Amino acid sequence: MTRIMLGSAVLRGTVATALMASLMSTSALGAPVDLSKWSPEYVLSIAGTQDFDTAADCAKVTPLDYKGRLTFWYQGVFEGDPDLLRQYYKDFFETFRKTYPNIQLEEQALTYNDLLDKFRTALLGNAAPMAVRLQILGGTEFASKGYLEPLKPEDVGYSTEDFWPGAMKAVTWEGVTYGIPTNNETMAFIWNADIFKRAGLDPDKAPATWDDVVKYSKQIHDKLGIAGYGLVARKNAGNTPYRFMPQLWAYGGGVFDEATANPTYEEVRLDSPQSKAALQASYDMYVRDKSVPVSALTNQQADNQPLFLAGQLGMMISHPSDYDVMLDLQKKATGADKDKAQTVIDNMRYGLIPTGPDGKRAVVFGGSNIHILKPEYVDGGKVDEPAAKAIICMWTSPEWSLKMAYAGSNPGNLNGFKTKWMKERLDNIKFLDVTTSMLPYGIPFPALPQAPEIMNIIVPDMLQNALTGAMTVDEAADDAAKRVRDLMGGL
Amino acid sequence: MTIVTGKAEARRRLQSGRSGALRQIWEHRADYAYVLPAIAVMLVVIAYPIYYTIELSFFKTPPGLQLRDKTFVGFDNYTTILTSEVFWRVTWNTLIWTLGSTLIAFVLGFATALALHREFVGRGVLRAILIIPWVISAVAASYIWKWIYHSDFGIIGAVLVGLGLADRPPNFIDSVSTVLPSLIVVNIWREFPFAMIMMMAGLQTVPEQLLRAAQVDGASAWQRFWHVTFPHLRNVSTVTILLLAVANFNSFIIPWIMTGGGPSNASHIWITHIYELAFGRQRWGVASAYSVLLFLTLMTLGYFYVRALSGNERQEGSA
Repeated sequence: MTRIMLGSAVLRGTVATALMASLMSTSALGAPVDLSKWSPEYVLSIAGTQDFDTAADCAKVTPLDYKGRLTFWYQGVFEGDPDLLRQYYKDFFETFRKTYPNIQLEEQALTYNDLLDKFRTALLGNAAPMAVRLQILGGTEFASKGYLEPLKPEDVGYSTEDFWPGAMKAVTWEGVTYGIPTNNETMAFIWNADIFKRAGLDPDKAPATWDDVVKYSKQIHDKLGIAGYGLVARKNAGNTPYRFMPQLWAYGGGVFDEATANPTYEEVRLDSPQSKAALQASYDMYVRDKSVPVSALTNQQADNQPLFLAGQLGMMISHPSDYDVMLDLQKKATGADKDKAQTVIDNMRYGLIPTGPDGKRAVVFGGSNIHILKPEYVDGGKVDEPAAKAIICMWTSPEWSLKMAYAGSNPGNLNGFKTKWMKERLDNIKFLDVTTSMLPYGIPFPALPQAPEIMNIIVPDMLQNALTGAMTVDEAADDAAKRVRDLMGGL
Repeated sequence: MTIVTGKAEARRRLQSGRSGALRQIWEHRADYAYVLPAIAVMLVVIAYPIYYTIELSFFKTPPGLQLRDKTFVGFDNYTTILTSEVFWRVTWNTLIWTLGSTLIAFVLGFATALALHREFVGRGVLRAILIIPWVISAVAASYIWKWIYHSDFGIIGAVLVGLGLADRPPNFIDSVSTVLPSLIVVNIWREFPFAMIMMMAGLQTVPEQLLRAAQVDGASAWQRFWHVTFPHLRNVSTVTILLLAVANFNSFIIPWIMTGGGPSNASHIWITHIYELAFGRQRWGVASAYSVLLFLTLMTLGYFYVRALSGNERQEGSA
């Protein structure tokens, strides 16, 4: 099945290459990893072709005997992450302490949904850490407000061309780079072949378009009485924009023009007919067909995972880590549930995210960035820059940017794709080739300081207003567009 | 002349009062020294934040700028709040939430206290069991209830469907019309043991001989309750209701964890809305103005609470 998906992906190579232009800068063409050749086969061909000595590389940035102290917050693992990822996080900090035994590291892990609130509050009290790893959405917000020190890959021994151009956009504000991407990922589409079969659908064929998703979801619900598509519409949860924006962009809509090659973010498009069509598709599934979980308004993806594993959900947008999460959940199940879960895992299929009516395929270009704070906002008023650069060098190295993204993402440093661990991942992690083949379709969130509010509050509010009947689809889209305009106007 | 004498007398009394107060402070200087650290801590952690919140409520804090770049806007933030449609909706939610939770929790707690006031086998065990919801962490309770209510796989829905009482699980927290009542039920479940304990303590103070005398005089059970028991519990009832009202007005955990104020703002109450405005949307100025309104409301409730307590003390003093 996977081979069929791969063949399909290769056939769409032309489209993928064209869309790559939106993610590439001219300089990237000369990068060690040739993004213009990106395909599952290319990824496979470069995996395991180069060795890196992380300690030696980072010693050039900060000597290994450097004595200092570092406070560091990072977006860490959460309940929906696989155990494998927990282990790699543990290994990283152990290795850092061994590599830099004289740096007193005080790290603190926070979940995706908590980090921004806590970090913003700490900044108000000048009590921030010296370095922070934020979700991709946060970079421009804090850079634009002047909290971050300029920081580019060259400052820690790497080259800007070693990173995805789309990811670099997310850490750039008014032409200055304020951070380094640690990991980047795109999601894919996952379905249960057995449910498809029982519902009278082709078990090996993903819905080609979002209109198909609506139809399939209804068919699954009507025939089997279970939820078809795993809609997520919770507010203040990163999962919601990650799952709705691909739909919005596929229909030709957007918050602004972020899906175009050179976005200007000047025109608000949430109330365009295309955006309304995308919202209508969600409305049709939730209200008209009742074919998605009723709990979608309070759910996040971590709630959909057990439903999928229990065979109660036909299809959903899937994070690269979902396959490992399913394996973890299956291991924890007991009795008949264990066998049932295994059946679902055996029937898991991965494919590309569906297109819109005009064949447009899109996915959120996600990930995280690492930054250094300005001393005046840091607890104690001092930043130990060599210590901060030491951890940043290590985390963004080909080795650790790969390992820290082993199960759930991809290395921010493109050279990570050349390591032996990438080869190991391709052998061990099922469907990784499919999720990586979505990377060229990735669209970064608007690189604006207002993006977190738009994505975490306004877009979910729009969905909730339409899906609860508090507003019609038109009203909800118009209301959201007005709120974005007000926000951009400084209100 | 009389006026002059009156003024002089007043000045003398004032001076005497001042010197008296200073003398008293001097005489009790060791006592004041003991409470000084506590007062200093309170000034830092309570008085200054209140002052800063009030100050911030007069400034505009655009989300794209740092807080130090704020601009003075006078009462604009208050106007923004009071003319906002969402504010009035959230205010309505807050009133329903506070009144519904407070009154029902009180009535339920009172009824339970009356039932447990009688001697019967297993009373102690039952009392201990009924206190459990109050001692459970609100965070844990919220997550448990979220799953109990789950609109697809909640246990209530499963039981109703299993018994053939419903075709599909009821929608408790994903509907704008049912979410607030559903959250109020959880809040009542958590709070009624508090009312129960307060009223049980109050019931201990009702003189047994008065109840017996009323019974000898032929008063019915209801008359004994209404004319003897209840008047004795009036003050403790007032205090209980006020404490519950203040706690509910300020209650954050249950609505935030279970719904985050959604869907579509249907379960936002003042405190969750303030949190979202401040930390989610970084409208520090507007959120501060909102907080000032909340503070004034709570201070009003606090005033009545103190008055009720003073009433209690006066009554105890006269008795």
